[in-house]
Formats: sequence, C-alpha cells, structure tokens
Amino acid sequence: MASFPRTGFAAWAGSVEELCGLIDALQPLARSLGAPDPQADEWYGSLFGKLRPQVSREPVLVAAVCGGTNTGKSLITNTLVAAEISRSVPEAARTRHPVASLPQGLAARTDLAALFPGFALAPWQSVQDAIDLGPDASGNADRLVWREDSSGRQPARLVLLDTPDIDGTLRENWHRAELVRNACDVIVAVLTQQKYNDAAVRDFFAAAAAAGKAVVVVFNMIDWPRQRDRIGGWLATFTAETGVAPLAVYAVPHDFRAAEAGRIEFHPLPELTPDGAAVDLAVRLADCDFDSIKLQAMEGALRVVLDPETGAGCWLDSFETSAKEWREARRLLTAEARVRVELPTAPREIVWNEIWQWLEPRRSGLDLTVSKVYRVAGKGVSWAARQVGLVRSEAERREDFSTVELAALKTALGDFVERLDDACRRNPRLAAMLGARLVDGDRAAWYADLERRHASLPLVSEDYRTFVRNELDRFAKENPGMVQFILTGLNVGAVARPAITVALGMAGAAAVPAAAASAGGLSVLVHHVGDVVVGTAATIAGEGALGLTMAGLKPLIETLFAGWSAERGRVLAETLHDVVLGDRLEEIDRLANAATAPEVTRARRLLVECSRDLGRDMGREVSR
Amino acid sequence: MNDQQAQPREQPGGEPVDFTSFDELVEMLARWSGSLPEWPPARAVRAEWEQIEPRLDRARRELSRMLVVGVIGGTGTGKSTLVNALAGCDLSPAGDIARPTTINPVVVAPRDVDLSWLPVEAMNARVVRSDAAAVANIVLVDCPDPDTQAEAPRHSGGQATHSSARPSDSNHNRELLEAVLPACDVLLLVSTAQKYRSWVVAREVAAFAPGRPLLFVQTHASRDPDIRDDWRRELESQGFVVPRIFRLDAVEAATRSAAGLEPDAGFRELVEAIDAELVGRAARRVRRTGSLDLAGWFLRQSQESLAPLRGPVAQLAAGVASERTRLEGILARAVGSRLRASRTAWQRILTGEIVERWHGGPFASFLHVVESIIAFWPRMRAAGGGLITRLLAGQPADMIPAGQGGWQAVEELGLSAAEVEQSRSVLCGLSARARLAEPLVGRARLDESRVAATVGTLLERTAAWLSSGIDRLVADRRGRIDGPVFRWVCEALFSGLLVAVLVRAGWNFFVGHLWQGRVVDGGGFLQEALVWVILWGFFLRWIAFARVRVGLNSDIQSLVSRLPQAHLTDPLLADFAAAADATALFIDHGDRLSRDHEGLVARLTEPGGDLGHLRGDSR
Repeated sequence: MASFPRTGFAAWAGSVEELCGLIDALQPLARSLGAPDPQADEWYGSLFGKLRPQVSREPVLVAAVCGGTNTGKSLITNTLVAAEISRSVPEAARTRHPVASLPQGLAARTDLAALFPGFALAPWQSVQDAIDLGPDASGNADRLVWREDSSGRQPARLVLLDTPDIDGTLRENWHRAELVRNACDVIVAVLTQQKYNDAAVRDFFAAAAAAGKAVVVVFNMIDWPRQRDRIGGWLATFTAETGVAPLAVYAVPHDFRAAEAGRIEFHPLPELTPDGAAVDLAVRLADCDFDSIKLQAMEGALRVVLDPETGAGCWLDSFETSAKEWREARRLLTAEARVRVELPTAPREIVWNEIWQWLEPRRSGLDLTVSKVYRVAGKGVSWAARQVGLVRSEAERREDFSTVELAALKTALGDFVERLDDACRRNPRLAAMLGARLVDGDRAAWYADLERRHASLPLVSEDYRTFVRNELDRFAKENPGMVQFILTGLNVGAVARPAITVALGMAGAAAVPAAAASAGGLSVLVHHVGDVVVGTAATIAGEGALGLTMAGLKPLIETLFAGWSAERGRVLAETLHDVVLGDRLEEIDRLANAATAPEVTRARRLLVECSRDLGRDMGREVSR
Repeated sequence: MNDQQAQPREQPGGEPVDFTSFDELVEMLARWSGSLPEWPPARAVRAEWEQIEPRLDRARRELSRMLVVGVIGGTGTGKSTLVNALAGCDLSPAGDIARPTTINPVVVAPRDVDLSWLPVEAMNARVVRSDAAAVANIVLVDCPDPDTQAEAPRHSGGQATHSSARPSDSNHNRELLEAVLPACDVLLLVSTAQKYRSWVVAREVAAFAPGRPLLFVQTHASRDPDIRDDWRRELESQGFVVPRIFRLDAVEAATRSAAGLEPDAGFRELVEAIDAELVGRAARRVRRTGSLDLAGWFLRQSQESLAPLRGPVAQLAAGVASERTRLEGILARAVGSRLRASRTAWQRILTGEIVERWHGGPFASFLHVVESIIAFWPRMRAAGGGLITRLLAGQPADMIPAGQGGWQAVEELGLSAAEVEQSRSVLCGLSARARLAEPLVGRARLDESRVAATVGTLLERTAAWLSSGIDRLVADRRGRIDGPVFRWVCEALFSGLLVAVLVRAGWNFFVGHLWQGRVVDGGGFLQEALVWVILWGFFLRWIAFARVRVGLNSDIQSLVSRLPQAHLTDPLLADFAAAADATALFIDHGDRLSRDHEGLVARLTEPGGDLGHLRGDSR
C-alpha cells in the first residue's frame, strides 16, 4: 500500500494542534465575554472534527451516507458494506446513532475516539444498536457504533458510515449527522424526488460542499426507468442550490419488496457523472483517489477555518467587539456608580483621645496639671449641663451618632443599588453581569449585612489607632519644632464634617491610607472628600478652651479625621463588594482587557501563518 | 349558504345557553387580558389575545358559512394531486418535474359560491371552481409547502457559498403559506413515509393548529409502507389528539376520478369524512369546537407565561408584609420610648385632668392654688417641637409640614428616611423579580410629590391614632381617681389636718388663753401649722398623682403594641402593596377563567368524529 503523502499536512500539523489548544483555552473567556459559541460554527466543526483528528494520524478515508428521514440511508449503507450493520425499518428517523463499518484491523491500529470527536464510541452488538443505544456512562448521548468488516472486502483505508437524518423532528439527530459530516471525506448524498430541494437538506449539503467534501449523489426511490429523464433536472437544482460538484450520480429504483428483502440496485448514470464512467458505487468508493480526496477534504476544512467572513478569525474579532462593549460598561460603572455619603459629624473626642494618648508621655508636668484641671472642670460643667438636659451623655451621643451614621450608610447603599439598576438599564452588558444579582439577590440580607458590619465596627479600631500613631510619629519627625505646636494646637477645637464618596473603581488605590491599608484589593473605592474645619466651635468644656488656630496643623488633623471617616465608609464598601457584587467587578475588568489576551494574539498569528501556507489570496484577507 | 347574514343562534339542543356562556367567557377574557396593561407579562397576554380575538370574533359571526380547508404538507407529498382528486379534475399543477410544484395557493370552491369574505388577494391565491361532490360544501385551499424556503435570513455562518445567489433565494413558499393559513378553518395535513417526521412541517403545523381541527392523510399508499401507527405516536408526542389517519393514493384516486371509476376505499373514506365532519351542522360544530379550543389554547399559553411569576408575586406580597412589620416595629419602638420619656408632659396632662374634675373641697382648692402657681413656671423641658410633644401638650396635630419638612416630622417619630428607603429598595428588588417596574411601583427613594402625599398621610394617621390613644389612656387613668370614695378620702384627710389645726388653735385660744389664762402663742403656731398643711397637701397630691401614674409605662407599652393594627406605615409602601395585589389578582383571575373554560368544554364538547386537534400539552 502506498504511504500517504504527509508533506502537505506536515506544515499544518503543529499549527493546527496549537490553534486547537488556544481555542480550547479561550472558550471560557468567550463564554463570559458573551461572544458567540464557536461550537455551532462550521469552522469549529472543521477544525476539531476534521483537521485535528486527521492531520497527524494514519490517513483513512471516511465515507458517510447522509440524507433526510426515511430516504433509505441504512439500506444503502448495508448494501455498500454487504452486511446488515444498521436495521432498515419502514418508520422514519429510526437511525439515531451513526454506525461505522471499519476495515479489518483498523480498530487496533487507531484511536477511534480521536477519529470521531464528540462521540462516545460503542462496539457493534446488533442491528438494533443504531436505534436503541442510550447515553454512555458519562452521559454523552451522542453514540457512534462501530464494527469491523467481517468479509475482509472493505478497502483497507475506507471507513463507511450510516448516519441519522438531517431534517426530522429529533434535532439531536441533525447534530450527530453534522458531527459525522465534519469528520468525513466523502459523502454519499441520498436524495429522493420528494426531498432533493428541501431547505434542511440543501443547507446540510451546502456546508459539506463548502468544506471541500467529495460528494457522490444517489437518487433513491426512483420510478425506474420512467423518472430517469427527470433526474438531470433535479440534480441541476441540487447542485445549483448547494454548490456540490458530484463525483458520480446513481439512481436506485423504488422497489418496496426488494428493499424489504435488503436488496437494492444501483444504476450508474454516466450521463451525469463527470468522468462518464458507469462504475458500480462500491467499486467507485474503493477505487477513488484516496490521496487527492483526502487532500481536498483537508484543504476544504482549513479553508472553512480560515474563511475571513465566517472562520475562526471572525470569532476572534468578536472578542475585540465584546471587549469594547465591556470597556464601555466599565466606564459607565466608574462614572455613574459613585455615591457621596454624608456621614454625621464625628464625636470629636474620638480622634482627640487618640492624639492625647500619643502625647501623654511627651508632655511637661505643668501642661499635664493644667490639662488635668481643665479636664476636671470640663467634666463638672458637662455633668451639670447633662443634668439640666442641655448636653447628652457621651454614651447617648455615641448611640445617636451610630444611629445617624447607619442611616447615612443605608441611604448610600440604597442609592448605590438604584444607580446600578439604572446603569444596567442603559447597558445590556452590565445587565447581563449584574442584573441577576440585583434582581435575584436578597436585598434584605444586604442591609442586614451592612447593619452587622456596622455594629461590629468599634468606634476606634486597632487599624486606625496604628494609623494615627504612625501619622503623628511621622509628623513629629518631620517637624521637630512642631511638637510644641501640636501641644498648643491640641487645644484647638476641631469639627470634622466628613463626607466620603464610595465608587466602583477598577484601578488605583484608595485615596485614604487608613482605608487602603485594610481594604487593599477592593474594587470598591472609598475617597475622602470631606472638609475638616480647624479652629472653630470650641465646646463648652475641655481642650477647646484655649482656642488657637494653627494653620500648620491643618493638614495633619485633616488626615487624621479623614482616615477615621474613610474607615467608617469601608463598611459600606465591604458590603458592596462581599455581598452585593461579589467579584463581578474584577470580572468586568478582566473582560474589558480580554482582547489583549496573549492567546488571542497568538491564535491570530497562527491563522495568518496557515493562510500563507494555503495561498496568498486568502492570507491577505485574514490578516488584520 | 353563500351569503353572510347575522347568524341565527337558536338551534335545537340548548345551543343558545351554551353559546351565551361562551360569549360571556370571551368577554371576560377580553376584559381580563386588558386589565393590567402596565405589567409587561399582562401586556404580553394582551398581545396574544389581540392575535386570537379577531379569529374568535369571526368564527362567531360567520358561524354557518362553509369551512375553508387548507391542504398542507411537505413538498412532494401529493397535496396538489389530492386536491385534484377531490376536485375531480386537474386544477392545480402536480407532478415530479421540479420541486416545489405549487407556488401560489389554489382555492377550489363550488360554483356559484360567493367568496367575497375570503381574502383571496392577501393570500396571493388563484380561484378555481369545481362541481365535484367532494368539494360541493367546502372551500379547499392547495397550500404551498413549508420546507423548500431557506430559513430566513440565510445565516452567514459556515457556508462558503454565501456570496453566490441561489435559485432558492426567490423561494418564499413558507411566507406564502403563512399568509394562507390564517384564513383556513380546518387543516388537512398530508404526509408520506419520507415526510411525516419533518421538523419544518411540524413547526408550521404547530404554529397554526391552535383552534383549527385537523384531518390527517398519508398519501403515496401504493408505494410507501403504512406508517400510520408511527405517525400517530409522533403526532401525539407533539400534543395532537389523533382519532384517525386516512391512507390513500392520490395519484390513483385522481386517475380513477378522471376516468369516472369508483374511488378506492381510502379515498372514499376521506370524502365521506369530509361530508360528515365538515358540512352543514357539522361545520357549526367544527367552528364552535375550534373557538373553544382556541380560547383554551390562549388560556394555557397565558398560564404558562404567567407560571414563572407566581412565585415572585407571592414573594413580593410576603415582602410587603414583612417590610411593613419592620417599619411598624421601628415606629412602635420609637413612639413608645418617646412617650415614656415625656414624663413631665404626662404629669401635666394628668394633673390637669384631676384639677379640672375636683372642685369644691379644701383639698381641691389646694390643688387649684398649686396649679395656678405652677402655671407661672415656664415650661422649660419641652423636648423639641415634635408631634408627640405637641400632642401631649394638648396642641392640635394638624400643622404638618410638607416636603422634606415632612420627613423631618416623621424622623422625629423615630422613622428615618433611610429605613423607609431600605424597605422600598428591598421591595424594588422583589418587584423586579416579578417584572414590576414604574409606573406600577415607584423607586426606592420617594420623590418630592410622593413624599408630600405619603408622609402627609402617615403623619395625619399617626397623629389621629396617637391622640385617640392618649385620650383613651388618660380617660382610663382618670377613672381611677374619679371615684367619690378616693376623692372624699383625700378631702377628708386634708380637711382632717385642717380641722385639727383649727381645733388646736381654737383650743389654745378659748381653753388655754381665755380659760386657763396662758399667754397667746401668737402667729408662730399658725405659721408652723400652715407649713404642715401645705406639706400634707403636697403629700396627698403626690399620693393622688402616684395613683394615676402607676403602671403608666405598661399602659404605654400596650398602647404601642396596638400600633401595627393601625397600619400607619401603609402609605409608605402603598404602591408595592397595590402592585402585589393587582398582579396576584390578575393571575387568580386567569386561573378562574381557565376553570370556567374547562367547565364549558365539559358541557359543550360533543363526541368528536375523525377530526384531530391540538391538545396543547405537548412533549
């Protein structure tokens, strides 16, 4: 037996394998991008069903008998392999699984599963297999039954297949027939006068023609010889519709009784056959030029993959289109989903207490005594004021603050959700990503989560304490002379009116160090936009009594207050991130950058290389 | 038969009653489908209804005109041959030269029948007349096939031939078919061994089968095996009821009929069935059953489309209830604590009550004096100007500020805008699940006009409820000291000291001074005595007030616990509650109409003959 000329494919083999790997790797990304599913595309079938299994394996020629329901495919297959491998029954659409007849010894030499990708293979048991077989252990319902030719007459490199119908009410049959069509080299198209021009039949064979399959046409159930003259017209319609250039044309007379007995007769139609030879169909299949048919099928498959309008490049283009939409979605989110939270005025002693504690060891005796006197006096005044009802106790004030603060955070959460809702209405991509979350999410649980986080956040956290110490240390080191100022400046009353914005951000760190310290990696950013007014509103008791404005201290104090309020806002950011949105923001970010994924670039380069191999004209179209 | 006038409804066998109830059902369906146009699912139901209403209407108006039978099936199944056989001559081109054969539909009608009611133009049809007995009382339409037109638009994926035009690009048979079928009353589905499992044909038939009875015919009997059992199974799996499938050879029948020979059995049976099932009174039955089927099909479609929303609608109703409870809880807690905190105000009210009621006695006079002195004291602890304070201070509660001021007033009651927004946001989510949006429900944040309306109502209701509750509470407490015994005991105790002082003073003067000659005490004793009288008076006053005050907290508690029954917070969530009710009602109403329809079917359906129909619950 002549060895198969591998040179034509050798160049592709590596590229095809790598391309398949890349496309497999890109599919999850494509799904999340919302790019079309490539598995429904012709190029995908050609690449994975034809090129990958055969480009580097022992070359066999696969011939499949295809056609509409009840056109006699099983009968024709049985006749061609001279054995009943698939039961032929009067009821339509009964062959539900392809049945392959292999030349002797092929099963031992070849990995059949790789030859027929997508199918769960089963060795032939009986003629009922094609009708009755259920899904395999892994649940794959697409089965392919195979058996080796027992007579030994089947040519050593020819595989013959009976396939399910392509137009019946069971759509999974169509799918299986398409898988076979992708994998085969030669198609025996079984047509009848009722079906040769049905749209479903035309579409199936048009795709086969486009992928470079060789086609032998068999007109079955012919009123022979009365309809012999009609066949030319039917064939002309068929070839014009599908682009099929048949290798040969045969007619099978309608003979119900003969068919029931499993006997049929192929009449070659030399007048419609290009080489004009009246050769028996089985002989023609056995004698046909395997190598050129194979090459033609492989090139056809590659051409489908490289097609600039419908091929793999087109699918890769959809990455760019989708990623662009995701970038727009990201822009919309960053611009629109930004909420300003008006936090209530902080109980001022919170920040001051921290500063006092830092200062304690640095203060002079006199200062401490004076301060103690102030504090005692202050306490006395405060007590009296509380008794007459002018001032509320510290605990009460903290409780009031906490209530108002929680209300502000809840308002902000509600605001946020509403903005996200609006953004989803304006952008379908966002709706796809966040819509389900916003609609199906348990909003009551979001608020409960916010309440829980807020309740468990101490007024002054350890993080914040550390932050204050570090800030003050740094300040003291940079301004040694200023420590005295601080001491004086501490007697300045300060009121913080903290407002923060919580925004969905994809890049950059949070503006406030305290928040950034523990909120690292959060995509929900907290920005401080508040203003701290130093030197106003000395309270009726305590440190404010001296009243002194120190412009130099302002930035420091501003930072200290800002850090504190940013930490309060972080509660909201955490709820938004952990409960409401999950990691969808990171996902949006990933998708927006999808077009620049290295796999996409590499796949494009491979496509260009393959096109160059296949021919200059195509290469020019594919390359971008 | 050939002209259309108002149809007489009176028929023997109680038809008027039945038809009235069907008319009523149709009327209710029309009302129901249009009853909630703001809800998208209900709008979809309405759109569906608008599709079928003209058909129901026409069927009722043209109850006794002859039936239009559409002959449909895949190309090559012998539709035209069968039509020719039935018409008794070659009216419609048939044959095997090229597929498809029939492009424009052919209408076969008895001679002299007025066809002005048939939209022949819209159908792109050619009308031919026939004298054949088989078509003497029906209009037969030879329809184009559904399976030679490419799936439009031709998908660009995959085929390298996409750029070149194909002959089939000009094939619009399926579109032609879809223009013809709406005019048909009955479908005659023709198929062969090769075509009875065709997906395209099945899809087209399923689209037009609702409300149209069917006859099933297997042709090519002389060539093909008998596949009727398998076809029946296939049809039943698609949801059809298939009482009978005819099997015949149309070519042979046409030949025999052209030659004037007796038709064979299969063809004869079909002709007889047409006569028995589609002509005269049977035609009325076909139309009526078709209408009932169509209404049933519409109801099933609606139920199916509404089914996934039942859960969300119920969840929304439950959500409204739970959010309402939450808001009421917040309001109750805050109102309770505020009422409890206003100790002085209660004191003043209760004191006022006692003072107002007790007159005449010395103790009463004492109370009045104390009260008038206290009245000079400034009311220093009026904790803010909130609604509760105003109510407890006896001011009218009708000065309710509008807009954001309204919110402030509500927040003084302890119900913050944030809490209300939280509830509304939660309900917004639930509404979206039930596909409810504006204008049926509002947004989470109430806008100015809504705030004015809802907050105003809330404040009014709360004020009315609170003031009546406070009145009741005060009246109840007043009852405790209003009794004469308690009052006389107080008077007696106070008067006792007074009398004792007077007696002692009298004794000192008359006995001690005048009789025993002791020195007069002077004013000292009286001053002392006055102090004691005042202290005693305050002590009694304290006892009396304590009696009124005791248990006030638990009374406030029980007052507040009745707050949920007052539905004070309802206006805040009113739009969601109304939407939940309306949607639930819409779904319930649909269920009720389905039951009505089933009852009507049970009453009206006559044992069907050879006609099949779409049951609806396919696969």
